Amino acid sequence: MSTTLKDYRTGCLLSALIAMLVLFIHPSKQQKTPTYNYTFIIDITRSMNATDYQQDNQAVSRLHFVKQTLRELLQTLPCESKVGLGLFTERRSTLLFEPLEVCSAYTEIDTAIGKVDWRMAWAADSNIAKGLLSTLDMLKKSGSSVIFITDGQEAPPVNPNYQTDFSSVKGQAKGMIIGVGGLQAVPIPKFDSLGKQTGFYSHDDVPHRSSFGQSNLDPSQIKGYNARNAPFGSEAATGNEHLSALQETYLEKLAAESGLTYARLTDLKNLNQALQNPKLATEKMVQTDIRWQPALFALLLLCLVYLPKPPKYRLFS
Amino acid sequence: MNWAVNTPWALTGLLLALLPLLNSGMRTSPAPWTALIPADTLSVVIVGCLRLCAMAAIAGLVLGIAGLHRTEQSRERIGHGAHIVLLLDRSSSMDNTFAGRAPNGSDESKATAARRLLTDFVNQRQTDLIGVAEYSTSPLFVMPLTENKNAVQAAIAATATPALGFTHVSKGLGMAISFFEQQPVTGSRIVLLVSDGAAAIDHDSELKLREWFRQQQVRLYWIFLRTAGSPGIFDQPEDSRDDNAGAMPELYLHKFFLGLGSPYRAYEAESPDALKQAIADINRLENLPMHYVERIPRQDLSTTCYSVAALLLLVLLGVKFCEVKR
Repeated sequence: MSTTLKDYRTGCLLSALIAMLVLFIHPSKQQKTPTYNYTFIIDITRSMNATDYQQDNQAVSRLHFVKQTLRELLQTLPCESKVGLGLFTERRSTLLFEPLEVCSAYTEIDTAIGKVDWRMAWAADSNIAKGLLSTLDMLKKSGSSVIFITDGQEAPPVNPNYQTDFSSVKGQAKGMIIGVGGLQAVPIPKFDSLGKQTGFYSHDDVPHRSSFGQSNLDPSQIKGYNARNAPFGSEAATGNEHLSALQETYLEKLAAESGLTYARLTDLKNLNQALQNPKLATEKMVQTDIRWQPALFALLLLCLVYLPKPPKYRLFS
Repeated sequence: MNWAVNTPWALTGLLLALLPLLNSGMRTSPAPWTALIPADTLSVVIVGCLRLCAMAAIAGLVLGIAGLHRTEQSRERIGHGAHIVLLLDRSSSMDNTFAGRAPNGSDESKATAARRLLTDFVNQRQTDLIGVAEYSTSPLFVMPLTENKNAVQAAIAATATPALGFTHVSKGLGMAISFFEQQPVTGSRIVLLVSDGAAAIDHDSELKLREWFRQQQVRLYWIFLRTAGSPGIFDQPEDSRDDNAGAMPELYLHKFFLGLGSPYRAYEAESPDALKQAIADINRLENLPMHYVERIPRQDLSTTCYSVAALLLLVLLGVKFCEVKR
C-alpha cells in the first residue's frame, strides 16, 4: 500500500479526482459583467438621405450607413443587453418596439433595423430639439439609454427666440446623441412618389429661416419691418438650408442642455467605444461557467501520469 | 447531430489523448529478461483497456473544456396555426376612448384596449408566426413574422407611446401583405387589421391590393373599433348624396374588402368586450393544419463529458491500488 501511495502517479490521479469533485460541487461563479439597454432613435428626415459616407468605395446615404453600423454593432453587444428601436421625424419620435434581449431576438432586431426607411416618416419637418425633448420625456421612465442618432439639420431653422427648454428632463434621462454626416455641406436628394431620385433640393425648395413668432432681431434693423404684416421684414431670406452638413456644435449644445453626451459616428469601432460608456452600462450579476478551471487542472495532472519517460530509465529497464 | 464547441482551438488538446499510447502509466518493475514472461492475452487486453480509459478521460476533459454542445435544432412539425400580421392603426384618434373622449380613470383608450387584448391573443397563439406592422400617414415596418412571442409583445407594448398623424390604410395593407413574400404557403395567412377609422383608397392602390391579396392568398380580418356616434362599417347612407367614399369611408372600405375575392370578415367593436369576442372568433376559426418549425434549444454536453472523465479517473485510480507491490 505504501508504495502505491508513494508513487507520484497515484497522487496525480487522486488530485485530479478531487479537482473533478470541486468541478461538480462548484460549477459556476457569480460575475459582474456590464450589460446595456439602448433605445436607438433614428432620424429619418430627408437630410439623412444625403450621401456623404463611403462604404466599399461607394457613396452611401447617412441613413444607410447608420443602419449598417447598427446591425454590425448588434453582433458585438454582450448577451443580456437590450435594444429597442424608434424613429424620429417631425417634432417627436415613435417607438417601434421596446428593448429586446439581443441574443434571443437577434434576427428580429436585425430585420427591423434593416427595414427602416425614410418613407416611414409620417410628417416632413425636422425639429430636432423638440424631437429630442419629446423623446427624452417619453422614455425617461423606461430605464433605457436613449441613443439619438441625427445629423442636426433643423428644417425649418429654429428661431433663436423660441428655443427648447430641456430643464424638465435634464438629469432624468440618460443617453447619448450620435452625430451623423460629414462636416462639408452636401445637397439633399429629392425623390418622387415612387421613390426614384429626381435631383436635389434647390435653394428655392426650402425655407431659410423660421417665420414663426417674433424675430430675434431689433425691429429697427429689419428692412421693411411691419409688426403685424411683416415681422421678419420684406426681404427674401437667403441661406444654405438646402445643403446639409453635420451640425456638431449645435448637437453638442443640445447634449449639454439635456444632460446627454455627444459622439460623432465615423465607423463601428468608434461607435462601439462611445456606446461602451460606463455611465450607460449596468453591472449585472451573471452566472459564469468556471468548470474549465478545475477541468484544466485535472487534465494537466492526468497528462503528467502518462508523460513519456525520459530515455535514461529505458536504458536500464 | 450538429455538434459544436465554443472554443475550437481548445480541441488541439485532443492530441494529449495520444499520450497513453506512449506510456502505460504504470510503475515498471525490473525483470531479468522480459522475453521469459509468457504471452498473456488477458494482460494485453487489460492494458489496452486501461490505455483506452486514459485516452477517453483525457478526451472527455478536453471536450468539456472546449464546451461541447449540440447546436439549436429545428424540427419540422405539423400543427394548427397561422401566419398572422397584426396591422395596427397608430392614428391619433386611437388614443381616445370608445366614447370618443380623452381617456380618464374609468374608461381606457381604444389603443389601450386593443393592446391589452392583443397581448392575450398573442399569448394564446403558441405555434403561430406573428409579425407586426403599423400605419398612420405612412406604413411602419415593426417586427418581421417571428415565433419569438417576446418580440411581438415588445412591439405591441411600444404602441403605448403617443399615436401619430392620419390614417392611410392602403399603404399599411400593402406593407402587411409584403410580409408574406418569401414565406412558404402553409396554414392560413392572415392580416388582422385593427383600426378605428378608414380612408378612401385610390384607384391605383385598389388594383394593386386586389392583385396582392390574390397572389399571396391572404385572409383579412378587420376589427373596426367604432367610436360612439361615428359611422360604422354596416351603416347604410340615409341620404344618397352621402353615398360616396369620401363621406362614408368605412362602408366603402368594407365594400372594397368584400370584393377582394379572398376570405374576409369584419367586426365592429364598440367596446372592449366586443373586441374580445372578435379575437376569440379568430382564435377559434384560424387553426388550419400548418407546417411549423419547432426549435429545440441548444444542449450542453460538457457536463456529460466531465462526468465520463470523472468516472474513468475513478477507474484508473482504483486500478492503481491493484498494481503489484514490490
